[in-house]
Amino acid sequence: MDVIATAFGLVFEPYVLGVILFSALFGLFVGSIPGLTATMATALLVPVTFFMDPVPALAAIVTAVAMAIFAGDIPGALLRIPGTPASAAYVDESYTLTQKGLAERALGTSLVCASIGGLFGTIVLVTSAPTLADFALNFSSYEYFWLACLGLTCAAIISTEAPVQGLVSLLIGLFISTIGLGIVGGYPRFTFGSIELMGGVSFIPAMIGMFAVTEVLRYTVTLSHPPVISQKAIGNLFAGLWPTLKKYKLNLLRGSVIGTAIGALPGAGADIAAWIAYAVSKKTSKEPEKFGTGHVEGLVDAGAANNAGLGGAWVPAIVFGIPGDSITAIVIGVLYMKGMNPGPTVFLNDPELIYAVFITFFVANIALIPLGFLAIRSARQVLRVPRRALMPIILMFCVVGSFAINNTVFGVSIMLVLGIIAYVMEENRIPVAPAILGIVLGPMLEDNFLTSMIKSGGSIVGFFDRPISAVLGIATILVWMIPLVIMIRRKRRGPKLV
Amino acid sequence: MKFKSVAKTLGVAAAAVGMVAVSYGTALAKYPERPIQIIIPWGAGGGTDATGRMIGTILKKYVGVPVNVVNRTGGQGVVGHSAIANAKPDGYTLGVATVEIAMMHWVGLTKLTSDGYTPIGLYNVDPAGVQVSADSPWNSAQEMIDAMKANPGKFMGSGTSQGGIWHLALAGMLQAAGVDSGAAPWVPSKGAAPGLKELVAGGVSVVTCSPTEAGPLANAGKVKILAAMSDERMGAFPDVPTLKEQGIDWALGAWRSFVGPKGMPQEAIDVLVPAFAKVVKDPDFVKFMNKRGFQIVYRDPAGLKKWYKQADKDMGGVLKAVGLVK
Amino acid sequence: MRFNDAITGMVLLLFGAAVTIHSQLSFPGLPGQNYGPAFFPTIIGVGLAGCGVILIIQGVLKRHEVPLVVMGEWARSPRHRTNLAIILGCLLFYILAVDFLGFVPTSLAITMLMMIRFGVRPLNALYMAAGSTLIIHTFFYKFLLVPLPWGIMQPIAW
Repeated sequence: MDVIATAFGLVFEPYVLGVILFSALFGLFVGSIPGLTATMATALLVPVTFFMDPVPALAAIVTAVAMAIFAGDIPGALLRIPGTPASAAYVDESYTLTQKGLAERALGTSLVCASIGGLFGTIVLVTSAPTLADFALNFSSYEYFWLACLGLTCAAIISTEAPVQGLVSLLIGLFISTIGLGIVGGYPRFTFGSIELMGGVSFIPAMIGMFAVTEVLRYTVTLSHPPVISQKAIGNLFAGLWPTLKKYKLNLLRGSVIGTAIGALPGAGADIAAWIAYAVSKKTSKEPEKFGTGHVEGLVDAGAANNAGLGGAWVPAIVFGIPGDSITAIVIGVLYMKGMNPGPTVFLNDPELIYAVFITFFVANIALIPLGFLAIRSARQVLRVPRRALMPIILMFCVVGSFAINNTVFGVSIMLVLGIIAYVMEENRIPVAPAILGIVLGPMLEDNFLTSMIKSGGSIVGFFDRPISAVLGIATILVWMIPLVIMIRRKRRGPKLV
Repeated sequence: MKFKSVAKTLGVAAAAVGMVAVSYGTALAKYPERPIQIIIPWGAGGGTDATGRMIGTILKKYVGVPVNVVNRTGGQGVVGHSAIANAKPDGYTLGVATVEIAMMHWVGLTKLTSDGYTPIGLYNVDPAGVQVSADSPWNSAQEMIDAMKANPGKFMGSGTSQGGIWHLALAGMLQAAGVDSGAAPWVPSKGAAPGLKELVAGGVSVVTCSPTEAGPLANAGKVKILAAMSDERMGAFPDVPTLKEQGIDWALGAWRSFVGPKGMPQEAIDVLVPAFAKVVKDPDFVKFMNKRGFQIVYRDPAGLKKWYKQADKDMGGVLKAVGLVK
Repeated sequence: MRFNDAITGMVLLLFGAAVTIHSQLSFPGLPGQNYGPAFFPTIIGVGLAGCGVILIIQGVLKRHEVPLVVMGEWARSPRHRTNLAIILGCLLFYILAVDFLGFVPTSLAITMLMMIRFGVRPLNALYMAAGSTLIIHTFFYKFLLVPLPWGIMQPIAW
């Protein structure tokens, strides 16, 4: 109980609350501008949080992301452009509602469901993480090796439509992680005599390049002009909301559960959670024919799911150091920089910090309602900010942020090179998220493998010797089978369909 | 309309700041006239970072300008050590050079040696220790060495990366006791803390990090400190015997020194050397070092030069014996 | 810019092969271990080459539907082509020039250039580039203590 009281003290102090408010506004702004994603919001925040204490740093990220994911719904409803990929699943639905003159219904539902979904994900996080961590204390290098494997496999297979492209992205990330002087080998790899590269490819410039610079490049080569904003006034957001929520309370619960579960899977984040929740909603609905014609039911499911996914993604990130999505991949980097090594021992070493983070989750999701309300009210002004002036400023923030981590221009070079690589990858339908997980998990995979091999004297048996290790190993191998099984089933079904 | 007015406001602000800036520009003054930067070649939160930041805070008092501390990590210290050596030698970029400077050129990671620096002062030496799990059967370093000699390859050590300073501590100790240094294989770890975790979990048999790093676990009764690899007993651990007392002629420690790049102007050296000598004696610094269990050992620039030479020779010898020299 | 999978695959195959060969030839083993620094890069290299082969096969199978290279629409618009070149050029210029020129002049120049290219009127671009540069500089240099280089402005550093 003492720990929780301390945690409350850490959060409810003017400085931290100020940081929360600022990052909330920042998150709402970034989220509601199409082309700027929640991941980008995190990427731009990290260089600033680098200089803060752990609690305000993590509070800033938690808040900004929760706000950005909701705010992505605003341009979706008003412009038919999702502000973040997480809103893409139901953008047609909410825009159709706006065209019918029901913008307040679309946005009001999104807002309240986002808040409730977010709180649900938080409750799951708070209740499950400490228990899981207790269990994970017995894990040695064998178990961590399998966990890293399992996480990477999920990232490559489950999160993308094309497993080969996912695997390519993952391997590129893993390759990047091998650059530099390794801990186990003590030998510089792929540095070609560069002292700077001996330190490896720094994670933060890499991520700023892959998530923020790519967006600027994409803006540069996009020909279309910004669309016209609907000029209809937005009515009372909360009118008629209660009956809607009451009618779809099961959808709300289902969306939250799906979102949390998908979020906790490594590699799949809020965007995939929203797609799946929307699809499930349509499949099980009593009136599926209404979907796509401005029907709120799908909004309830998916709007709750994407915010619930955020909390879910933190479960494996905190307990095992394995990110649930690209945002928590960044968070893990921040935790390491703050000396809070993610993993089960974090609950022993810094419990008050972790509980403080949990509290900020609650604060952020509750504050979402009033702040989101303001964001919707001022949406027209935000959407009118000229992108032609904003993009160069964002690029300068990227440059300074990449410089600030190691105080070297080399960081800017990393940002530029990885920005170009990521842009070409995305153009060729190779997803970027698995690569970022590869960069984070690569050292964990390799170090734990080599350490295990040294401990067992080069015998593979060690990886299946311990019961938990064996279960994890078998699970990993089963997941590897999934694409094969799908291929075989497709082949068998193929002729019948023809 | 609105867009334009925002732009104008920004412009006016810019002009105002610009004017203030120009009025601040003054004629050149004596060293130091602007902030000094200290480069730490290791990550935030570690011992080198903590001591470097403390030096920064206290040095400010004696030189009268702000001192900023930045971390340049990675490459087992190579990146940061090179950054210090390659900085403009104007006295405004200084750094902390650690024991690794005497090691990394031997293993072929870089050509940089301590000759690349202007020495300012040595400030700390932390001897290595011999730590085993509380339930280990060994009660002295000699018992452990005998066991390793009898069962080569059975007992493993950990505490840092392959070829890191604590790895050399173990290998050199075995060597000095007349046992093949390969008798206890090394399990590389990210540092002393993960190595100690493995030790407590039973994954390895010995961790040869600094006793200071093992202090909390020793106090909690999880770890036994069998010996210190120093010439005399450590102030913070008066009950721990040295290896020499146990008949093994071996001492090794990690050390930290304050340096600038080679070729610094005499004017800057004349300010920095006496200022640093005052920092090391400053009551706040002494209190901090004692609290964290770091031993203060001071050498002036001439003494530090000799220290570098000796360390280079010693490290080269151990690294050759372990077979890591390229 | 989209390539046919066969081209992507070929690039990956060559890259994977290069990684594998480089790792195998030049990385030393750990003393007394079968697995050393070369082990993981080799797996990654072989994996990339394998994916490359799969993509080549897929690309060749679809060669009638997917052309070898599909340039984006921007490639036909000289203005957008120049914009892209300018953005990349600006970043490169920053990397090369910032230590000498200093952060403030470099940032001012490239922010303004980009804004003008994107269609902001020159005077507005100057105001906004100056304002944002000074805000970024003040925020990172003064509050976060990031040592942004002064370069030629060292004499009037504030």
